Amino acid sequence: MKIRNQLLAFFLVSGILVSCEEVINPSLQQANPVLVVDAWITNQPATQQIIITRTQPYFEAMLPSGVSGAVVTVVENGGKTFVFTENPTKPGYYEWTPAGADTLKVGEAYALLINTGGETYQAQSFMGRVPVIDSLSFDKDTNIATGDPITRAEFWATDPVGVGDAYWIRSFKNGVPLLKPSEINIAFDAGVSIGGPTDGVIFIAPVRRRINADDRDANDRLISPIKNGDSIQVQIHSVTVAAFTFLNEVSIQTNRPGGFAELFATPLANVSTNITNTNPNGTKAVGFFNTAAVSAAGKRYTE
Amino acid sequence: MSRSLIFLLVICSFVCQAQEKYTINGTIRDASNGEALIGVTVYIKEIKNGTTTNEYGFYSITLPKGTYTVDYTYVGFQPVVLTVTLEKNLQQSVELKPEAEQLQEVVVQAELEQANVENLEMSTNKLEIKTIQRTPMLFGEADLLRSLQLLPGVSTVGEGASGFNVRGGSVGQNLILLDEAPVYNSSHLFGFFSVFNPDAVKDTKLFKGAIPARYGGRLASILDVRMKEGNSKKYEVTGGIGSVFSRLAVEGPIIKDKASFIVAARRSYIDVLARPFVPILQNGGALNFYDVTLKTNYNINRRNRVYLSAYFGRDVFRFDKTQGFNWGNSTATLRWNHLFNERLFLNVTGVYSNYDYALQFGKDDLNRFSWNSSISNFIFRPQFTYFIDSRNELNFGADVTYYTFVPAVAQGVTNGDVVDITIDRKYNLETSLYVGNSQKVSEGLSLDYGLRYSMFQYFGPGTVYTYGDTTAGIRKPVIGSRQYGKGETIASYGNFEPRFSFRIQAGSRASIKGSYNRMVQYLHLISNTTASNPLDVWNPSSNNIKPQLADQFTLGYFRDLTADKQYEFSVEAYYRTTQNQIDYIDGADLLINQYLEADLLSGVGRSYGLEFYAQKKTGRLNGWVSYTIGRSELKVDGVNRGEWYETRFNQLHNLKAAAFYDLNQRWSVSANFIFTSGTPTTFPTSRFVQQGVLIPYNAYESRNNVHMPDYHRLDISFRLEGKKVKKNGKERKNSDYWVFSLYNVYARKNPFSIYFSQSDQRTPAGQPIPSQATQLSIIGTIIPSVSYNFKF
Repeated sequence: MKIRNQLLAFFLVSGILVSCEEVINPSLQQANPVLVVDAWITNQPATQQIIITRTQPYFEAMLPSGVSGAVVTVVENGGKTFVFTENPTKPGYYEWTPAGADTLKVGEAYALLINTGGETYQAQSFMGRVPVIDSLSFDKDTNIATGDPITRAEFWATDPVGVGDAYWIRSFKNGVPLLKPSEINIAFDAGVSIGGPTDGVIFIAPVRRRINADDRDANDRLISPIKNGDSIQVQIHSVTVAAFTFLNEVSIQTNRPGGFAELFATPLANVSTNITNTNPNGTKAVGFFNTAAVSAAGKRYTE
Repeated sequence: MSRSLIFLLVICSFVCQAQEKYTINGTIRDASNGEALIGVTVYIKEIKNGTTTNEYGFYSITLPKGTYTVDYTYVGFQPVVLTVTLEKNLQQSVELKPEAEQLQEVVVQAELEQANVENLEMSTNKLEIKTIQRTPMLFGEADLLRSLQLLPGVSTVGEGASGFNVRGGSVGQNLILLDEAPVYNSSHLFGFFSVFNPDAVKDTKLFKGAIPARYGGRLASILDVRMKEGNSKKYEVTGGIGSVFSRLAVEGPIIKDKASFIVAARRSYIDVLARPFVPILQNGGALNFYDVTLKTNYNINRRNRVYLSAYFGRDVFRFDKTQGFNWGNSTATLRWNHLFNERLFLNVTGVYSNYDYALQFGKDDLNRFSWNSSISNFIFRPQFTYFIDSRNELNFGADVTYYTFVPAVAQGVTNGDVVDITIDRKYNLETSLYVGNSQKVSEGLSLDYGLRYSMFQYFGPGTVYTYGDTTAGIRKPVIGSRQYGKGETIASYGNFEPRFSFRIQAGSRASIKGSYNRMVQYLHLISNTTASNPLDVWNPSSNNIKPQLADQFTLGYFRDLTADKQYEFSVEAYYRTTQNQIDYIDGADLLINQYLEADLLSGVGRSYGLEFYAQKKTGRLNGWVSYTIGRSELKVDGVNRGEWYETRFNQLHNLKAAAFYDLNQRWSVSANFIFTSGTPTTFPTSRFVQQGVLIPYNAYESRNNVHMPDYHRLDISFRLEGKKVKKNGKERKNSDYWVFSLYNVYARKNPFSIYFSQSDQRTPAGQPIPSQATQLSIIGTIIPSVSYNFKF
């Protein structure tokens, strides 16, 4: 249950207690780089991308170097094979553009196979169903902490009946993807956790509203997520339960607003992966493979 | 079986008394207010032996016919020496007069005359309320738990952490008793203050080892806090006005020398003071805590006395009129002391205790989320003490606790659609029987031995899940569930808990003490956050979670450095192994999760250390230095590659010094200094990106692989006593004092945690995401404060 997120929000707005934070530069243990697979593909007709890189030292402020020369294929349960070829201008970026109606399909299982450096990695996924977005709405509210007026967007959709659907709700403000850790919005059925009986209903309020940009001004006050003329686009991506768990872990590990929220923070731990080396004694990989069906809707706000 | 053993022992002791013997017994009280005094030494000069008063001020010694000199001594009080002729059973209650004010000095160990060296107890610390009141504290407020943290073997992970750690045990492994009622969360305001109102506390004792058989239920320690009974001689009002909260206590006789009461209350007002500056507080927001403690007692006759005590406390965090979160404990204790005959003392206790919290989010009834969680229990506890003779004191009794766990009563409402995510309640019964004997074998050897048998049952109604095996460290799959009917046993456990300790006198000024005890814990505090916090839930042992076990060995050397017993020194070693320790899978979901147990891991633990303690007990300058070197580790499949790792609260070095100095008649100064090794934490080695999010990664899969910077802090406080005499030369009836305190004198930014995150700014596409490490100090500055305290 992501009560934690609500608590984090709570302590952010309260801000009553004084604490003190400073950025430090601790020295970290050295480690060998590990293969990173970023394979989140969809049923959309657009070009699909799988990015293969290596881990970097934590404080290295450089783009990760791509791993070139890998053989990357996605195999549909029915036997179809889709070959991802490396983009000649972008090392490590492997791409495939569906030809005509040859997109990935809901209800199919997929396997990812990667051959690189003499090792074979594989991963499994399944494309789950996704509900349509009925509508988007905007509502005016007051920022609890500051009393400032704010406008927020909200999407409306209903989880289909049947326990076990999982989603990643991704949003774009004026075409810019909202990718901050505090903006990760995942749902299990219509709720936020596995085990909560929220099947087959409208997504609960925290999910519906977590599509807004979390931007703050110099005084750490929330900027109204929507202003006159702003557009918002929402995409619901179906994810596997394993991917939901992964994203939940990513949220826990990366969404660190600091301050008193640290009282509720859990220890640093590695997030899970579904990429395995076919040789159990081979080198490990991190990252995730998921095949998503996507539904989308957008709206512009005018006063 | 245990019950027949008890009867056998009792009968045996009757049979064994062939010689003509008589008993002297009674209750020792403070002459100024009628409070029963705990731990008063009653020493019989002729046999060079004695006893101490129990928790109710009662003592009993059985001796052969004869004339004896009885010495009643208690620190801070004028001793009383009586010559008695024992020709029949003698009832001898005594009132001790406090020493004159200027002679009162701060002493941790109450038993000055029969000091640590001669006492059978080891691994035990007593805290006098006077000491607590003199210790410089955050915002100048005397606080029991924060004073406790100045003792050897006691630590905390830092400001903002609820509870405390004893000898490398977790916060949930301490049993905290307030007048025998368990307190499930001992903290107000995230550990800045404890729930105990010092105005209502009489006596505090912490057992870290050599735990007597009458206590059980937690692995690491027992903190036994006893409340004042209330002045039975005259009305008295004490109070204080501080920068964070104010206190007021009223006590007095209901029937003089027969019945008395005390009511003490506190309320914080930081939110009231901050309201003009914080908008959230103007819109119905709140941040406060309050508590009320009350106790009354009635002395029916010499053989019967009843006590009723209660506590209610609450912390409230609200960020508008309808949204927020609150938590608190409530306890009620009813006790009956009964003297069957001159030597058989019975205390029967009935307890109700509850801890609960509630959260509510959402602006209106159509869209909201609410969640309540609680643990409550009823206890029935008859405890007998049989004072066999001057050498043996037999304790036996039972302890029956009925628990109700409410993990979550939770409801979400979306556009009027109600979704109920309530989780089944859990019902448990913990029953223990115990027998223990304190025996003075000879002048040089004393023993304390006992046995406790505890049983725990988990019964229906409820749905219970079973989980399949999987790779250690990941969520276990649910493979079955079963519905149990009301009263049907789901799981049950039983354990013997042997306890043993000895003292060997080594000359007149030194002794060697050792102990072994096994402790069993059936309740588990589920917490995987940096520090324990009020949302942590308690979970009982079940078909999936086994009870925790601990075996602890201690060995100590105690010495009075001078003949006048002014200086005391001790060193104690402890070694504890634990089984069925809980840890968590990565990404564990601990709140409102009906499959919670699928996210729990089980392993073993060990902790060991050496505690040094030196104390100067009296004089204008007094105080103590304590130093602990220790280690606390866990080994859990699925964490840290299955290898041993340090617990979050492991501290290699832990040094504390407390000093109290009387400058003159009115001014006194006290200071404490704390140095602890930085606690362990986990740092990443590497980073990688998924879908535009930067993720930290530890290539070695380590847990707690580094240590945070060391923690150290100096606090100073000055106390100014109000004038004792009026201008016209008459003595003032009222007394008062000011406390000026400085917390964290040199404003060190002691780290609470270090966390790793990506930059808060949006990174444009095609740019690397900046990463950073941030060190958080909960209190990063000096905190001055002043409080005014009065008594009339």
